Amino acid sequence: MADTKLGTPRLVGVIDIGSTAIRLVIAEIDPSGEWRRLDRAIRPVPLGKDVFLNGSISRDTFQLCLRVLTGFLELLQGWQITQENVRVIATAAIREAKNRDMFIDRVRMRTGFKVDVIEGIEENHLTYLAVQHAIRNLKKDIARTNTLIIEVGGGTTELMLLQRGKMVSAHSLRIGTVRIQQHLSPNSESYSHVEGYIREHIRNTQELLEAEFDLSRIKYFVTIGGDVRLAAERVGKKVHEHYSIIKKKAFIDFIDRLKHCTVDECVRLLQVTYNEAEGLVAALLVVKYFLNATAAEFLIVPDVSIREGVLLSFALDTSRAVGEQFYSQVVASAISLGRKYHFDEDHSLHVARLSLQIFDQLQEEHGLDSHDRLLLESAAILHDIGNFINTAKHHKHGQYIIANSEMFGYSRGDLRIISNIVRYHRKALPVPSHPRFMMLGREERMLVLKLASILRLADGLDRGHSQRIRKVRLEKRDEEILLQVEYNGNPQVERAGLRLKSEMFEEVFGYTVRML
Amino acid sequence: MGKKKKKVLAHGESDKSSPVFFNRELSWLQFNRRVLEEARDPSVPLLERLKFLCIVSSNFDEFFQVRVAYVKRQILSGNQVNCPSGLRPSEQLDRIRTEVREIVDTQYRTLHEEILPAIANHGILYLKPSAWEPKHLEFIETFFEKEMFPVLTPIRVSSGSSFPAVRNLRLYIAYLLERQAEVEDGEEGTERIALIQVPESIPRVLFLPTEDGTVAFTVLEYVIQKYGDRLFPGYQVKDSLVFRVTRDADMGVDEERDDDFIDAMVEVLAQREQSPAVRLSCVGGSEKLRDSIAARIDLSIQDVYELPGPLDLGSLLSLVSLPGFEALRDIPWPSLPSPSLPEDESYWSVLSRTDVLLHHPYESFHHVVTFLKDAATDPDVLSIKITLYRTSFDSPIIQALELAARNKKQVTALVELKARFDEERNIEWATRLEKAGVIVIYGIAHLKVHAKTLLIVRREGNTVRRYAHLSTGNYNEKTARLYTDIGLLTSREDITYELSLFFNAVTGYSAIPNLRRLAMAPSGLKGRLLTLIEREIARTTKESPGLIMAKMNSLADTEIISALYRASQAGVRIFLNVRGICMLVPGVKGVSENITVVSIVDRFLEHSRIYYFQNGGSEEVYCASADWMNRNLERRIELMFPIDQKELRKRLIQLLKLYFKDNQKASILLPSGKYVRKKPEKGEPSIRVQHVLYQELVTLTKNSDKVEKKEFLVRRKYPEERPR
Repeated sequence: MADTKLGTPRLVGVIDIGSTAIRLVIAEIDPSGEWRRLDRAIRPVPLGKDVFLNGSISRDTFQLCLRVLTGFLELLQGWQITQENVRVIATAAIREAKNRDMFIDRVRMRTGFKVDVIEGIEENHLTYLAVQHAIRNLKKDIARTNTLIIEVGGGTTELMLLQRGKMVSAHSLRIGTVRIQQHLSPNSESYSHVEGYIREHIRNTQELLEAEFDLSRIKYFVTIGGDVRLAAERVGKKVHEHYSIIKKKAFIDFIDRLKHCTVDECVRLLQVTYNEAEGLVAALLVVKYFLNATAAEFLIVPDVSIREGVLLSFALDTSRAVGEQFYSQVVASAISLGRKYHFDEDHSLHVARLSLQIFDQLQEEHGLDSHDRLLLESAAILHDIGNFINTAKHHKHGQYIIANSEMFGYSRGDLRIISNIVRYHRKALPVPSHPRFMMLGREERMLVLKLASILRLADGLDRGHSQRIRKVRLEKRDEEILLQVEYNGNPQVERAGLRLKSEMFEEVFGYTVRML
Repeated sequence: MGKKKKKVLAHGESDKSSPVFFNRELSWLQFNRRVLEEARDPSVPLLERLKFLCIVSSNFDEFFQVRVAYVKRQILSGNQVNCPSGLRPSEQLDRIRTEVREIVDTQYRTLHEEILPAIANHGILYLKPSAWEPKHLEFIETFFEKEMFPVLTPIRVSSGSSFPAVRNLRLYIAYLLERQAEVEDGEEGTERIALIQVPESIPRVLFLPTEDGTVAFTVLEYVIQKYGDRLFPGYQVKDSLVFRVTRDADMGVDEERDDDFIDAMVEVLAQREQSPAVRLSCVGGSEKLRDSIAARIDLSIQDVYELPGPLDLGSLLSLVSLPGFEALRDIPWPSLPSPSLPEDESYWSVLSRTDVLLHHPYESFHHVVTFLKDAATDPDVLSIKITLYRTSFDSPIIQALELAARNKKQVTALVELKARFDEERNIEWATRLEKAGVIVIYGIAHLKVHAKTLLIVRREGNTVRRYAHLSTGNYNEKTARLYTDIGLLTSREDITYELSLFFNAVTGYSAIPNLRRLAMAPSGLKGRLLTLIEREIARTTKESPGLIMAKMNSLADTEIISALYRASQAGVRIFLNVRGICMLVPGVKGVSENITVVSIVDRFLEHSRIYYFQNGGSEEVYCASADWMNRNLERRIELMFPIDQKELRKRLIQLLKLYFKDNQKASILLPSGKYVRKKPEKGEPSIRVQHVLYQELVTLTKNSDKVEKKEFLVRRKYPEERPR
């Protein structure tokens, strides 16, 4: 197809099924990541209200969603955009809906759209992609200081912390405008009482955040979403094609003025639609709360959303975007997690390097892609993290920690794979009685086996935790792989280590391994 | 009489504390008076004068069906003051009746004393029954027996209260009958009434044979009247009356019925035939019949208009285009090709480098049709979206859309079925479009889609480009020959992007968007206009006063008018060219002394809406589908679009200025509500804006042809320059 050829722009559509609305953006995007937004549509749907209150999508909302999506399909057809150039993502509301499978199936049957329910953390990553693109002219400033990126949605609030431009943590908080509104007592009309609720709800998270990072050292406060964009239009200044700036005082004044208003009053005061006004105050209050915890003097409001992130992931020609920037953010995030659990940084990073050397030379054998490579790298960085709890069974502790952490750039599914790789970097091979392994799909299990066996080799090659083996070259014979290594000193320990740790590799790849 | 009227129209002026407004209906009547003035203007060719007489009548038809019906409903529902002029509905109705009678009186006097005698001198003879000679009678009788008799169906009116369904705006003849037997017996018999509808299948104007090359005509209803007794054997016709009933046409559709909107529409159209009567017009004769009919359709004598005849001058319009008689008509100003759209270059190519402004009907509407036809056949065009409000039957626009759909393009047509009086036609072609595969959207509940726009998406190399046509006039190539309208062709990204958003909203894909470049009613247009006026107020200083120039059909939104009053008081100079209704009272000291209102009624119907704001020197010009009326700004889907290209903006500013220089066809609105014709000041040249515009284009077109055409310089005064 002509429009997928490298170097030519591509016409793509992204549909985002959110908690308060279904949105569509159609854009022309070229491989460098530049996009031209051609069309967009939005229809409010009360998905969040249904799901966060009753647990499932109601019949009426279901029908409404189908009507909206059928309309969007027609709109996409007008641009002659076919299904392979459309990505449909769904966030918190669908994710948490009891009848999500039925929803996804019905949507598929009626429209042909394949709904991709994305995890909070992947949501983070897509959002980050878009933000980073929008404010790329601030890259240098961001690299010198600390930045918080925040988006308040209907169901969740996404937070990302950047230290000198590097992602140090990412969180998806279960607080959003729709949930907040549910906590408003039906007779309290304005938001003045809701601040307490927000404060209470966020306090725990904030403590968690503070443990990782001192929020008061944040200079750049980046916030996205329709609600802050609306604030930016009223009290901010558009300083760049893709973002506006709001001075802290102007923002606080704005929200302080609004928080005493009912939704109806907001509609009249701001001349916006009811839907636009509905979550506005709640969202701005959450933003204000975090803003006050930082040292930021102004808010940066990019005009992007998760949809532009998906667009970019299109441009980078994989659904998971492994751009260089993204890659280093993910690695930084893994290292940051490792540090939290006092890992042996030199050893871990060295094992990661060796793992990748082996991975790259086995391309023909494993047939895996760059995303899988990243999973291996992260697993290698974190393989000994369980030592924090106890050295004994540290592979099991490691699995537990990772499965219950959040790491930038990874979905829950990714974390399950990484945690399993860590689990099998030593000791027993998987057996059917291991539930956390068995709950993976067949392909994922294969992936874990391949990557864990590579990790074992690499780990064996730094058995002494002294980085004696600098480089490894693989030489394939008929049924044997010879490892040629460059080393300092005497690699006796590593030689023994390799012997101990090559069994799984031999079983998985069918080669015996020998170090020259 | 004149004194009284002055008081009427200046109502509210006495109360200086609150803003003053003219009453909407009375202001409209002033407009119809100006149309009548054209019919009385001796510098206008005779058949054109006849045309204006016809228009006065068809204007009244619409006015009674909609406005008078509305006022009457208001009286019935409590007679509360509902008009910013402070007049009660009953007072309005009184004044409307007085004013209408005066206008109609002048209209028929003009017809019988000026136009008919004058065209008779040129060989067009109107023969009323009293003028029928034996040779005519022979023809007429044969015609009646052969052509008419078979299609006439008398309806007997029973003596009870029920009355047969007299259809809206159709001509009828009522007969007062008495049984022959009873008459012969000399008894005082029972009288009966019977009705005959003048058949619609036969042209109303009947041409009579002549030998000398002249044209002689009469009207059908008199033929029926003459031989009507043959329809009632056994009865004696004691009297007869030609009459016509006007009914309330503003019966709404149940908007919630989106499932089968077409069915609902059809039902409404049927109901309209039965809705309350608002006017009875008749040609003098039987008082008995007149009163009896009026009583049976619940009209008081005040709603009865007895005319000298013939009734329904509107349907005599066919006479205006009588073959020959060129000297009695305007010298034609055929539409010319736009100099901006060379024949040897594709529109895609032109529009990729420049915007194009089309001023119809000076510049031909065929460009728009061509544009659409090109899109229908261009292999790279992906989709076409269009709004259709009033379009003509069998229109090339519809054909092009059908063709595009058959060529597998996605075609979306937003069809406004509710365009008043065109509903039947609309249903017809909407169904046709649907059959061809067009996605037809049957309007939006509670809102009429009045915006006129077209959007084409085209693949070009590796990218896509959008082309748009935004206009002040409908996609109707017939009215495009008579209405002045501005159309903008553009491929500007910011405009076309927002136009996509507009279409997404009106086709139901999306919620209403916030627009920056375009403004859309009912969501943002009025607010934008008020902001623009406020900005002009903020920017005006003693040294450099602000300036607003605006041209529209009607000005009737009290919020906008109040903003204009404020602007005037702040020193902003305001020039308004309002063809029809104007509720703003200009020239009132301390209120509106900086506001000038001018109305132009000429050969073409002024229809373009152009809005200019000086904005402290950074001038802005907009065109719009919307008038500054509450109806347009709050109950319709409308679009206002900016003119961004500098030369085009300049052209429109020049155009607006020119509209205030006209001293031939322009009337100035006085604070009293009266309009007076502008005349050239001493030494000032005559300026007739429509003529100037046409001549300018002729010159331009000639230059662009690069062909030297020699012309005689005729030294004479042209008719319109002759002092009257």
